[in-house]
Amino acid sequence: MARFRLKDSVEYYLALSDQPKRFDADSPVTNVFFDDSNGQVFTVRSGGVTGVTVNGMDESKSTSFRMEDRGPIISIKFSPDLKILAIQRNQDNQNATVEFVNFKDLAPTNVEYSHTCKWKNAKILGFVWPKVNEITFITDHGIELLQVLPEKKQLKSLKNTSFSCAWFSWCSQSNIVLLAGNNGVLLQPFSLNNSTITKLQKLELDASRPVVERDVFILRLCDATWCAVFRHAHSATVTAPGPTEVWLMPITGPSGFHYTHVLKTGLVGRFAVNVVDDLVVVHHQASQTSQLFDIMEESRPESGVVIHIPCVAGLSMQPARLGDLHCPMYSDTWVVFQPDYIIDARLGCLWRVKLVPEGLAHSVPKDEIAKIVAVLLRRTDGKDTIYRIVNQLVTEAGSYLVQLSQVFDEINSVYRKWAELEMARNTAGQALEAARPPHNFRVLVSQPDMCSHVLQHHADDQYLVQVVTAYIASLCRHDMVVQQAAAEVTVRALVTRGAAGRLRAALRRGALGDARPLACALLSLGHMDPAAAQLALDMLWRLRGYEEVVEVLLSWNEPVGAVGAAKQAGNAWLALAPRKLLAAARAVAEARGEPTAFTAVYHALLNRNERTRGSPHFLKGEQCDSYVEYYKQITAEPQ
Amino acid sequence: MINSLRNSTFYTMIDVKAKINSFFIFNSSFGPREGDELQRILFYHPSQTSADAQKMQVGLCEAVVKFMSTFSSEPCEALQTQTKRYIFYQPEKGYWMVLVVRIPYTTKALSAIGESRGAADIINPSVMYDLLKSAYKMFRMFRGPFKNYPIEEIYTICDQFYTPYISSRNLSNDITDVIQGINYLPLDKNSFFKVLCFIDLLEVNYPHFKCISFIYNEQLIWNGLSTPDMLTLYQYLVQSLLPKQVEKEIQGGAVAAAQRHGRFIHPPEGIHSQADLQKLVKVHLMREDDKETKQYYLVVYRTMSATVCFTVDENVDLQFEMFRSLDAFIGPQLSAIASTISEQCTLHALHTAQLAASEHKFVYFNRLNLAFKTSPTLNKLHPSTAIKPEVLSIIASIHSDKQSLGNYGEIIIKTPDEYWITGKSSNEREFYVIIQEKNANLKEIADEVRRICEAQMKGIFFYPM
Repeated sequence: MARFRLKDSVEYYLALSDQPKRFDADSPVTNVFFDDSNGQVFTVRSGGVTGVTVNGMDESKSTSFRMEDRGPIISIKFSPDLKILAIQRNQDNQNATVEFVNFKDLAPTNVEYSHTCKWKNAKILGFVWPKVNEITFITDHGIELLQVLPEKKQLKSLKNTSFSCAWFSWCSQSNIVLLAGNNGVLLQPFSLNNSTITKLQKLELDASRPVVERDVFILRLCDATWCAVFRHAHSATVTAPGPTEVWLMPITGPSGFHYTHVLKTGLVGRFAVNVVDDLVVVHHQASQTSQLFDIMEESRPESGVVIHIPCVAGLSMQPARLGDLHCPMYSDTWVVFQPDYIIDARLGCLWRVKLVPEGLAHSVPKDEIAKIVAVLLRRTDGKDTIYRIVNQLVTEAGSYLVQLSQVFDEINSVYRKWAELEMARNTAGQALEAARPPHNFRVLVSQPDMCSHVLQHHADDQYLVQVVTAYIASLCRHDMVVQQAAAEVTVRALVTRGAAGRLRAALRRGALGDARPLACALLSLGHMDPAAAQLALDMLWRLRGYEEVVEVLLSWNEPVGAVGAAKQAGNAWLALAPRKLLAAARAVAEARGEPTAFTAVYHALLNRNERTRGSPHFLKGEQCDSYVEYYKQITAEPQ
Repeated sequence: MINSLRNSTFYTMIDVKAKINSFFIFNSSFGPREGDELQRILFYHPSQTSADAQKMQVGLCEAVVKFMSTFSSEPCEALQTQTKRYIFYQPEKGYWMVLVVRIPYTTKALSAIGESRGAADIINPSVMYDLLKSAYKMFRMFRGPFKNYPIEEIYTICDQFYTPYISSRNLSNDITDVIQGINYLPLDKNSFFKVLCFIDLLEVNYPHFKCISFIYNEQLIWNGLSTPDMLTLYQYLVQSLLPKQVEKEIQGGAVAAAQRHGRFIHPPEGIHSQADLQKLVKVHLMREDDKETKQYYLVVYRTMSATVCFTVDENVDLQFEMFRSLDAFIGPQLSAIASTISEQCTLHALHTAQLAASEHKFVYFNRLNLAFKTSPTLNKLHPSTAIKPEVLSIIASIHSDKQSLGNYGEIIIKTPDEYWITGKSSNEREFYVIIQEKNANLKEIADEVRRICEAQMKGIFFYPM
């Protein structure tokens, strides 16, 4: 299968952020912690005595300070407003306690306090900050939500829930914590929003295949929260285990996401997951590749499960550089955090993973171009790459006409869905929204966009006529009205390329909607192409442009026809200035030697005067005296 | 023996269909000297006519044409004698085509039997003129202009072409002969684009092939020729090539499966080998985007009821592989399109059946795209016998005489036997309504015509309604 290659595109579709955030590497005297809620790396030297450095991707969240070494640290995290630092230490034979230090302007104050969880014999597995001044302890006995009162150096219990738990997973974007019970067979999510603990629908897994902590993540994807579980094949019983799948099970989110999505990696080994621009990135260490999955792609659920394969063939991330050196990629020392963090603890680097949209089109099988465009339509920065793809397809339309047509269909179908939703929202209010599966409309390519970014740049292309036809055909297939911009481009392309017959055929079939500018463009073609003028007149008539029709007929020296048309239009007839009609009629009568052309118009006007004013005579202001004279002259009995 | 038998059937056909007395082509410059008169006659039908009779007829025409040229710079068009009507057409300088029809001149005895029955049976001069014109254009399409042929070839060429042409020409006094137009298929825009995108894809992939016409049944969907040539090709397809094909399809039930996938029908035996390419016919046509007539190979492909015509530049080195690949490309796609169109047609037929059928007849003609539509069926198998010859004759004269209607005009004619014929023209379109109503008055007729107009001319500018 031939491949489409986007010109001047980079090979990679994923890259690490250009400048990693540097921190002191992990060492015997240094401990490194990462808080994915605030995106901060804590480097604790000698238990804090020689200093704690906090680095965030956001420079304003970086700081450094010293503190006493009161024992090995298990977890260290700032509250969301960076005003309270919470520290959990490994203190054997003591109650489950978390220490707090109030901070001011990212510097510690001497206000310190601590709190012990309510279950006496419990072991704190970790703590999270669901919101400012609220902390949740996750213990093996259950979870406890507490309010922190920093001024009073106190914590007040808000809510607690008992649950026998071995480990947990936390999603700071949705404030959902997932507790693993029953040896990893039962996964129980809780929402920590609204200062309370809400038990959510539990996720039950196959009892024969319990999951372990490193295989479970909570992801925020497409405005929904998912539990991602790596399902490895039964390696115990089968000598050659099958490939690993990632199961995405919905926890909460808008309705419409109620299927489990299964991502087929086709690989075995060690994996990690990121989410970038609503794409699931599955990193695979052994092959040093990262696969992309788009759960919004069109696919049919089968028995409640939607199966996905990677959008593009797996590829490495773009090699990152550190100064002049290449960083080792997919290294053993990498730790991956949600949504898009990668830490190399040994090098002391913090990166974010980013999507390189053009890389998706770097090399695509010919028949998958439309699929890639569909993927790009759902990406924040997809638009530019889409324009580049379409432009290249148009230039090479000789080999890509079918694919171009499919791409137009993808673009227009997204636009159409968006327009429908907008319309529903405007007419029926928000109520409708819940009933439909959510769509994200990251990229919308309107007709003016397509014209100004693509079609207008191809005036000299060999297959412009075919391209424009394919575009209009696609608009029609999606039941979209061809707007003025597209109609203009179409008319220009078809007329300048000697395809006026095609234009007329399309007009006759109603492919281009009626519009005054279009009618005018056709009229102006009339001197070379009478059939275009015929269609223009039809169109003006449908648009009720009666005055224009009258003007056109007068300009074609058809005064009698003009009067007839005006009469049918009603008001247009009453408003017509008599002098203009009479002048045109006289000109025609004299040029063709047909005095009846004048008398017919003249009589019609007299009738009109009679009806509207009760008298057949013209008003002085109408300045028709010379025509009255002319009438007498041509109707006079020969002497 | 066999020869005479064939001739006799041939005769009856012509005689039944029309009152054609003779048809001939001459050029005075071919035998300028006395005694060479026979050389001036390029073609004479019927061929059994004695040489002397031929010479006399042609001599008369030469004289008339010459004589008339002293009065007008315009070439002579017609001559009428008591028994015959001659129509002249000079398509190229010096070449004259003449059609002669007999006039059943009225004797007292005849007029006593029926009222001027004879007059109604004469073919209208404008119809005859159009007949000559299409006879020439058909020749020109397949053979090119007369002047291209040296004198030693032209007799054979004309004989080869016109003898079968005349015998196959199915001439009846029908509305389709009075107004020569094209029957377009009403098709929704999406199906139309399906056809168009198919053509585009084909032309892009097979740049030597240019689609000049796409016909479904006998209705045109797509045309890639200049307007005058479009009519000639359409007539060739609909009047000559397709009826033969359809007949073949009906007879050969076994080949039905093969037809589904489509095949080349021009040359009629199909293209199965490199040798078959020799049978491809060349045509002289002007494509829509061209400024001049050029010579092309004509290729016609058919699947189910869809027929596609292509031109291939005569300089292209034809290879059988090209045609085989084209066949593989078109076959499946075209049959899919044909089924879509067939569905559309069924829907459309249902839709029109629901519309209250008017008992009155109408004829629509668009001068610019030659679109032609009538209320009775266009099918030649059921000739529109309801339109009486007198009425046809009146329509023919309104149609041929542009002055009578003008660009924007209306005319109502009442025949002695209670036919009301309304002709209208507006925005380059013509519309005729035939109403048979004994006790109607002018206003009632005008109202009825307006009603029919409104129903039939919806969405177009047609004044006066």
